[in-house]
Parts: sequence; C-alpha cells; structure tokens
Amino acid sequence: MPPLSSGQQGGEGRWQPLEVPWTHTNIPPQCVQPCCRPLCYEQSEHRLHKSSQMKMEEMSLSGLDNSKLEAIAQEIYADLVEDSCLGFCFEVHRAVKCGYFFLDDTDPESMKDFEIVDQPGLDIFGQVFNQWKSKECVCPNCSRSIAASRFAPHLEKCLGMGRNSSRIANRRIANSNNMNKSESDQEDNDDINDNDWSYGSEKKAKKRKSDKNPNSPRRSKSLKHKNGFSVCTSASNTLPLLFSSSGELSNSDPFKYNNSTGISYETLGPEELRSLLTTQCGVISEHTKKMCTRSLRCPQHTDEQRRTVRIYFLGSSAVLPEVESSLDNDSFDMTDSQALISRLQWDGSSDLSPSDSGSSKTSENQGWGLGTNSSESRKTKKKKSHLSLVGTASGLGSNKKKKPKPPAPPTPSIYDDIN
Amino acid sequence: MGRAEGNRKVNGTEGERVPPLPTCVKFQLVSKMNKDAQMRAAINQKLIETGERERLKELLRAKLIECGWKDQLKAHCKEVIKEKGLEHVTVDDLVAEITPKGRALVPDSVKKELLQRIRTFLAQHASL
Repeated sequence: MPPLSSGQQGGEGRWQPLEVPWTHTNIPPQCVQPCCRPLCYEQSEHRLHKSSQMKMEEMSLSGLDNSKLEAIAQEIYADLVEDSCLGFCFEVHRAVKCGYFFLDDTDPESMKDFEIVDQPGLDIFGQVFNQWKSKECVCPNCSRSIAASRFAPHLEKCLGMGRNSSRIANRRIANSNNMNKSESDQEDNDDINDNDWSYGSEKKAKKRKSDKNPNSPRRSKSLKHKNGFSVCTSASNTLPLLFSSSGELSNSDPFKYNNSTGISYETLGPEELRSLLTTQCGVISEHTKKMCTRSLRCPQHTDEQRRTVRIYFLGSSAVLPEVESSLDNDSFDMTDSQALISRLQWDGSSDLSPSDSGSSKTSENQGWGLGTNSSESRKTKKKKSHLSLVGTASGLGSNKKKKPKPPAPPTPSIYDDIN
Repeated sequence: MGRAEGNRKVNGTEGERVPPLPTCVKFQLVSKMNKDAQMRAAINQKLIETGERERLKELLRAKLIECGWKDQLKAHCKEVIKEKGLEHVTVDDLVAEITPKGRALVPDSVKKELLQRIRTFLAQHASL
C-alpha cells in the first residue's frame, strides 16, 4: 500500500489506510460490534484455552463410544505404520545418495563359495566334525602315538615342563625323602603337615595306602623298638581295625594324612597308647577306625575329640598333654595298666564305641560323666567353652575340618619316645 | 487493507458475497464440527505425553524387522531404484512407491498386537 501523506483528504469516501497499528486501546472505527472486536494475542489464547477445556469435558462422555474408539485406534495404528514406512524411505534414500545402498550385494560367484552346506557328516561350513579326535600325533620325546586332544597334557608330563608336572615331581621327591628318613623330627613333619594340607594331597594320601605292605620288615622293627607290648583285645565287633605301625606313621611324609596313616589302637598297649596320645592327635577316624597320627594341633580334629579319645582310653583321669601342668607320664604304673586292659577289653557295645557317631545313649553320658567333669576343670587353655557329649561322640567319628586355634606345642622331648 | 476487509471471505462457490460470520460464532461452529478431531488431538497428546507413542513405535519397528518386513521392502526398493536409475531417485518417488506396499506387507499378527496395545491404552485413558 503506498503510504499517503497525512495531509491527504479522504473526504470523498476514499478509503484511507491505517497508518497506526491498531491495539485494543485503539479500536479501529470500522468494527465496533462487541463480539467481533479483534482480540489481542493474550486474550485470544485465554479464550481458546477455556473453550478447549470445555471441550475436554464434553469429550470424555462421548469418547466412550466404542466405534469411535476403534476408529481412533485404527487411525493411530495407521499413523504409526506410516511413520515406519516414511522412516524406512528416508533411510533408503540417504543410502542411495551416499552411495552405500548396494554395498551388501555380492556377485553370484562369490555367493556360491559361501553357500550353506547341508550334507551329512559336515557342518554348515563344509568342515568335517571331530576331525581332530581321531588324529594321532607322535610325541617327540617318548615316540608314542598320542591322541590329538590328549597331546598337550601328555607333552607337559613327558617333557617335565609346566606347572602340574613340576608339582608332582616335587611331591615325589619329598615323599621319597620322608620314606628314607627314620629318625625324622616329628615336630618338623607336623609343621609341614599343618602348612601344606590340601585336598589334592589327601587324595594322594589315599592313593598311597596301597603302597604300604603290612608285613614289611620296617613295621615289625618299629614295633620292637617300642617295648614289644601288643595287646590283642577281644574288643567288641564295632571296632574292626587294621594293624599298622605307628612308628612309620609318625615318620610318614607330610602329605599323607589321616585315613591311610592311622593307628589301630586295638593292638597297642596302654603304655604305647599313652605315649601315643601324648604326642599325637589320636582322634579315631570314623572311616578307618584308626587313630589320627597328626600332631596334637592337627586342624582336622578338635580338642574335644582328642580329649574324648584320651578319656576313652585312659580313663577319667585322662589328660590332654597340652595341659603341661598335669602331665603325668611317669606316674603310670602297672596296676593302672591292668585296669586299662580290662577297660579296653570291655565290651563296649553300649558306651564307648566311637564308631557310633551321633549316638546319644544315656549310658554313654554316664560313662563319660566323670571324665567330663574332671576334664572340664582343666579347660584353662581351651578356646572352646562348650562340651557336649553328643557333639563329641559325633565329632569323634567324623573327619570334620574344624580348626581350633592350636594350643601351646608340647615339648619335643616327648616325641623321642615314639621314634 | 483493514482488518474488517480481511474478514470478508468468499464462502460459497458461486462467488457471492456472503456476509462473514462473526468470529465468535465461527469459533463455536468449528469446534463443534471438529469435536472428534479435538478428541483425537487430545488422545494423541496423551500418547505423546506418557511416552506411549514412542514405545509403540519402537515395538512396531522391532516387530517389523523380526518378521522380515524390512527385508522384503528393501528388495522392493532395490527393484524400484534399479528401474528408475540410481542417480534420479527422489524421496517423493520412493515414498509414493514404497508406502502403499509397506502398508500392505505388514503381517496380521503384528497389526493385531499393535491394535491391542492401542486399545488398552485408550481404555485406560478414555476417561480423562
């Protein structure tokens, strides 16, 4: 619109342009009807908002119409599908324009190379399954033909390189050393026992059981070394025990543990028993019915188990040798030994069979009542405070891996007796 | 041109000069006619606000890829492009060719599941 000068006259009815923008304060004269007056932005917004609110309320009532809802659902679905299609189109178009649309196409010749194979005996790549199982290799060291999957471990053992083979070799050396030693220090062995206990070594100990010949001369030699006292008891049938020498056991290699190196207390005299019990753990194993030959601090058995065994063997006055104040090795005389023998020959069906683990007979309690009372008073050095008979009965027979804190080690002078 | 002039619209097809409706009347008429549209708009708004629309879109996308719709459509695209020539493909061409095919290729199971979810949403939010 060409701007006219203000001085121009519009008297002839010529329409005059507005030079001043209209506001709500400056209402143009042409439109003065109240409903049609132009609104400013804020006012129109406000009106719209109010009306839309009204519409929402009306909508909730009419929206419950099922067909309408269904139609709306269809529309929404159509919108979503259209969105997806459009999105796809844009992706394709971009790929075309950037030039990577046809990149994943391969020529037909290459396609044939990588076709999926569907023949019996082959996998989808065309390779033979289990090709390496049947193949055999020749070991360069020992010139044997070994299966391919077993080749690497065999080579490790054969060449003597690798972790496992060196471990086994070291163990073998240690074992042979210990077998040769007959005057070895008990304490040292015990130390090694304590430090190196492991599951694998126990397995080895079990394996080695067959190595021992019960009739070997060494055994009888050590038996003579002790004052030849052997008691064959006609003890109850619940105590089937094999005889094995204690001397050898105390010297045995540090990696052999309970089950194969136990002592049968049936054939040991009271003197031997007593001296044994002062130096060794002595807890009777449930599995082999043998006494444990590990040190007095052996972690496999608790002090209570040891105390129970000593009470069983040596009567109510039995004392664990760790309690140094009441060591009474020298006071043991023959009268007591008679009593002890009679005790050992006692038909222990009711009370004292340690193999009845978990048995809670009252007679058992009574039989040990004296013992427990007297031994309870000597608990000065014990770390565990409770003494339950049933617990000890069950614990006696089992090889649980309890680890009580070791009491003070006994003096080495005692060990010389055994050896 | 003044504002009053601007209100003068040619309503009828004959080109007659129909006096323009006052704004307030027009406003109410439009809103009544478009009540459904308003409702749809409100529902759409609700869809977006709760994030349900995005979830539905992702669900649809995933399902379409799973069922192979995308690959089918891609093969069709390749044909179209080869036909038209790689250099002369435009978005409009693609859209025009592909969208109807795409709509038709959606499997029924996907369609049913999506409709079910939309209906559930509407049932939850119908009484706003």
